[in-house]
Amino acid sequence: MSWSVLRNRYSITFGSIAILATIWNVYVALNNDGIITGSVVGPDNRPVAGATVVLSEKTLLVTAPRARTTSDANGQFRFNGHKLYHIYLEASKEGIGLMKAKEFRLYFKGQNMALEKPLRLEATQ
Amino acid sequence: MHKYPHWPIHLVLVFVSALMLVPFIWVFKTSLTGENIFSYPPSILPKDPHFFYYVDVWYTIPFFRYLVNSVIVSAIVVVANIILNAMAGYSLTREFVGKKAIIVLYLSCMMIPFQVTIIPAYLITKELGLLNTHLGMALPVCSTIVCIFVFKASFDAIPKSLIDAARIDGMPDWKIVFRLMLPLSKSAIATNVILAFIWSWNNFLWPLVIIRDQNMQTLPLGLSRFLTVVEDTTGALYAFCIMVLLPGLIIFLLSQKEFIAGLTKGAAKG
Repeated sequence: MSWSVLRNRYSITFGSIAILATIWNVYVALNNDGIITGSVVGPDNRPVAGATVVLSEKTLLVTAPRARTTSDANGQFRFNGHKLYHIYLEASKEGIGLMKAKEFRLYFKGQNMALEKPLRLEATQ
Repeated sequence: MHKYPHWPIHLVLVFVSALMLVPFIWVFKTSLTGENIFSYPPSILPKDPHFFYYVDVWYTIPFFRYLVNSVIVSAIVVVANIILNAMAGYSLTREFVGKKAIIVLYLSCMMIPFQVTIIPAYLITKELGLLNTHLGMALPVCSTIVCIFVFKASFDAIPKSLIDAARIDGMPDWKIVFRLMLPLSKSAIATNVILAFIWSWNNFLWPLVIIRDQNMQTLPLGLSRFLTVVEDTTGALYAFCIMVLLPGLIIFLLSQKEFIAGLTKGAAKG
């Protein structure tokens, strides 16, 4: 079979779509470990150790908590193996403050995400 | 001969073309922003566009499953339309007793809406054991009268001497249709492909009647299910519409040259 048979607009269009879909699926497979990393800082922008970070999923009616973790001595936290694409993160530490649930949207389930900005606790009254 | 400047006509045409594109741009923009249609002042360019509404559509309902179902049904319909309509169109190019009556019957049947025949169609499909199947969904649109006439017009344009020569060489009728006529009727094939695909792709009522299993639903049924599941539908609904529209749009844009040629030929001969 001659390759020139495939050089028409149909095979080029659908071939390009197939190639893009393959590249996207490879990218997803390499980045869907469900790892979320970030840090928690206090009202004074200093890292907060021992803050509770809650990962919630947006369902049809409510946001349901799916996992929780605690920040380390440097204020860093990490979630592993989530399978969500529309999430909320909230952080709190008694005596320091609270950050209300903040929405994050991902392009596929379990997408790895490193928060660019830290979760900032606001002092509670 | 006095020459008129073309630019005023072109200006009007560009303006009208842009006007025709506004609904599409609006749908696309809303799918990227979720902006309510009543927002004021209206804007042409999207503010903070993102693709998250497409992600919502993909995961909220089994979109890929519906897409596969729609593709399977459309593929059956397109293939069946080309084969059956080509055979029917070829027969109408030959002379036989009752030909005119059959053409009149075809034309009269075109005036009967599908909704009128939906109960007999359902009963026949049930008797054939094709309820809840891809073939059952494809069955009523496996041959369409408009497309038969498109093929007839295209076959009429082929010189009779060519068919006579093939016949003298001992070619049977089915070979004349598929080896001789079809390769010379690319515009009619493109018209059939586009029309059959779009009719099948957008078909809502018939799948709604015969499909019971959620996994067998097609995209139009998925759209109606999606509306019942998603609370804030603005952005996601438009994203869904774009995702449903896109395959038909791609196929139309790819085949538009042949499609228009096929329709023009049909208009001149039919």
